[in-house]
Amino acid sequence: MSETAPLPDLPAVAQPYLDAVLAGDRLTASRVASAFLVSGRSIIELYQEMIQPALYRVGDLWEHNLISVAVEHMATAISERIMNERYGDIIAAQRIGRRALIASVEKEMHQVGAKMVSDVFEMHGWDAVYLGANTPLDDLVEMARSQPTDLIGLSLSVCFHLPIMERMIDRIQQDLPRIPILIGGQGLKAVGARVAEERRNVFYYADLTKLDLSVDAFSRD
Amino acid sequence: MKTTELIATAEAIPVPAADIVAEYEAKRESLVARVNEIMLARSDLDALIGADNHAMMTDNHANHARFVTAVLARMDPGQLVDTVLWVFGAYRAHGFRKAYWSAQLDTWAEVLRADLSAEAFADVYPIYNGFIVNQPSFFAPTEDHPPTAH
Repeated sequence: MSETAPLPDLPAVAQPYLDAVLAGDRLTASRVASAFLVSGRSIIELYQEMIQPALYRVGDLWEHNLISVAVEHMATAISERIMNERYGDIIAAQRIGRRALIASVEKEMHQVGAKMVSDVFEMHGWDAVYLGANTPLDDLVEMARSQPTDLIGLSLSVCFHLPIMERMIDRIQQDLPRIPILIGGQGLKAVGARVAEERRNVFYYADLTKLDLSVDAFSRD
Repeated sequence: MKTTELIATAEAIPVPAADIVAEYEAKRESLVARVNEIMLARSDLDALIGADNHAMMTDNHANHARFVTAVLARMDPGQLVDTVLWVFGAYRAHGFRKAYWSAQLDTWAEVLRADLSAEAFADVYPIYNGFIVNQPSFFAPTEDHPPTAH
């Protein structure tokens, strides 16, 4: 372990959740998340104000050599289970007959952000097929061809996978030119808007709230 | 040098032509392999990075080359500086000494000079020169709280 510069502030509401996942206490983490929702907050607020900041802090702790990779993975795995517990609140009763494939790009091992995006689409009645981390491009294209697909989402957490994402976009647009592509993730903070502006039919939203406000636009013919 | 000054320095680096980027990317894996070969052969390696960090070092070299490829293809000075600051801080926290960066970057310069075309080396080297000459600035954020190992 090493002494390092102070970590950035964490939202107060996320601290008990963070403490629980770092301790491997899934039950407490679940209770903290449930209490947050029972107080009247939304799933998206749970993701943006509690789970996402906590997981970013988990990353910071690894960066500062204050936790191991195993602890980081444990905290992430618990968080994914907590998110799955909310499925009853996430899956909208009214389905709209639209299908989205949401994946992390090739080589990209982070996947929670993509899972959150999938859940936002599900809340709007879409069938969101969440493909997880390191999704091979050929498989993604084949899956998009195999059934009617109305949107493909690509997640990038690490900025140096950007050339991979851009190659994936090129291939999808060559083979499936009518399908809009949604891009997002921490790795695009600096360049996501520019990547989207430079390309036809590619869309970037900086956070889940902005995405939530825009999903219905993708549903219109 | 402050972060804003580092960004300004990065902004001044010319963006290479597409064929230069393509050459770097095409040779990326062989460049990484050569850098690993040289670094792993160093008798002082454990002193530079810690005895248990060989895998983390080779991961860093692979990630470095992917990062440079991304920077060459789409230069964003702020992202370049933020990422380099993160890398210097994270790896130092995990036991990598400051001297590792000097050794690694000099090795990259040597390998690039040998394996890239003269034209490509001329266009790519300014990025590495930026890394090399600005090392003190990249270490600065962790100087008030240096890792206890060094």
